[in-house]
Amino acid sequence: MKDALILGIESSCDETAAAVVKNGREVLSNIISSQIPVHQKFGGVVPEIASRKHIENIMPVIDEALAKANVKLEDIDAVAVTYGPGLVGALLVGVSAAKSLAWATDKPLIAVNHLEGHIFANFLADGDLKPPFMALVVSGGHTALVQVNGYNEFLLLGQSRDDAAGEAFDKIARVMGLPYPGGPEIEKLALTGNPHAIEFPTAKLDNPYEFSFSGLKSAVLNYLHNEQQAGRQVNFADVAASFQFAVVDALCQRAIYAMKRTGLRQIVLAGGVSANKTLQQTLAASMDNIGCSLVHPTPILCTDNAVMIACRGYFMYQAGITSSLSLNAQPSLRLCM
Amino acid sequence: MYILGIDTATKVCSVALAHDAEIIAEYTADAGTTHSQRLLPELDNLLNRAEVAKKDIDLVAVSMGPGSFTGLRIGLATAEAFAYARHTYLHGVDTLAALAYNCRFENILLSPVIDAQKGNYYQALYKWRGNKFVCVEPTMVVNVEQLFGRVGDNECLLMGECGKINNFPGNIKKAPENLLMPKAKSICALALRDFNSETDKRIFGLEPYYIRKSEAEELWEQRNR
Repeated sequence: MKDALILGIESSCDETAAAVVKNGREVLSNIISSQIPVHQKFGGVVPEIASRKHIENIMPVIDEALAKANVKLEDIDAVAVTYGPGLVGALLVGVSAAKSLAWATDKPLIAVNHLEGHIFANFLADGDLKPPFMALVVSGGHTALVQVNGYNEFLLLGQSRDDAAGEAFDKIARVMGLPYPGGPEIEKLALTGNPHAIEFPTAKLDNPYEFSFSGLKSAVLNYLHNEQQAGRQVNFADVAASFQFAVVDALCQRAIYAMKRTGLRQIVLAGGVSANKTLQQTLAASMDNIGCSLVHPTPILCTDNAVMIACRGYFMYQAGITSSLSLNAQPSLRLCM
Repeated sequence: MYILGIDTATKVCSVALAHDAEIIAEYTADAGTTHSQRLLPELDNLLNRAEVAKKDIDLVAVSMGPGSFTGLRIGLATAEAFAYARHTYLHGVDTLAALAYNCRFENILLSPVIDAQKGNYYQALYKWRGNKFVCVEPTMVVNVEQLFGRVGDNECLLMGECGKINNFPGNIKKAPENLLMPKAKSICALALRDFNSETDKRIFGLEPYYIRKSEAEELWEQRNR
């Protein structure tokens, strides 16, 4: 079969990214222009500022991705772009550029769901990975268990009823005065803390595939508030470690249940929080205990990137799933559409 | 030189194709659908209708603002990507200038306006002096009182997003309905007038004429003054 080169474009939040991937598995380039320093002083991503940085960076990033891959735009077989979920203004920059590139060069346009992209980052981590497998999606906006039955066939088993796990990380980091983005900061702080110092409650839900983190978030915030009111010195490392333990434990319990129930043997981690080492290690051990295995993306592919978009795009391209020129951004796009 | 013009600065979507100063085709819609959905299909229709191939385009001209931040970025991202893919020149045109350029009336002040939200407007003042189109007052963000004040006692035509402005002084009138909307043919014409084969090679990192900072930056600056 002829090689297929896919140009991936991603601009859903605070990274402008482009990548060229060959046959869905071989990364020829991976360019990411991060805006983290720009948003830091605001304590979080400012949508209008993110969009302004995207329009400034989008073409240079695409150009660099092609140059680094040593391919010409004409050699590309299809243009794949994130069309949701994300910040609408940010998404529209990537979507507009991708549509125009595809139109100008008469190439197919492929609209990629960002969350599916995160799941597909695992195909780059493990060359032998094949459906069916389970995916645990853990990011700033989503927490979900997805059964991947085929390259274009997904079944949502359950998701968070309220806050996403990553959202809870960011909120607690902010209250503890840690810089944005808060997830990696909590993880760093937790290394020196005792995960069993404080017992934070996790939600008991009727549906064993569902998650809930708002109760846990409130419990941590209340704890911090009460200790401060009482004039006691708070051990932030212990709070970070105990909170992280509670989140990881909830994620692992659901994952174990899902694996036992479905009989699947392999699980992948996806989304920004999948970079968390404690989560990786604890989930790997839990899976080992029940005779299952875990795949997680390399650190650079855990956060937002365009390699995963090109990879997801490749499998859609192979299946002939393309988009028309009237493609629009869908900020609230859900998993398993 | 074939010129492809794009204006998505306001809720109007306008695209045009020109061969030097001759306008071949123009499509303008104020139909409420989103630019992201409609812009590419309309560009495609335009070229098909004119039977001009994408590879024949030499220059992409795009409306740079002021205007809706998101609309400007849709237009600019589309223009930049096309220029990059087809190795064409790219020229940015001031949206207010293009609005005034539509109205070829001599000896009268032309005041294009675009809604800047919260009762404010982006306004600049232009004039035709014979064949010369000149800017007489630069773009500012003004309220309606200031907007009238900048016109003074001069005879003046208002165009652009002036639908919500009422109670004009006697010397100010709205332009005829067919000249109120942004037209991409004016984007093409101004790009041709100001074309520069050196600077218009630059197609990376152009910034729309936002004029205003984002609200978050304004608040941050107030707090940290």
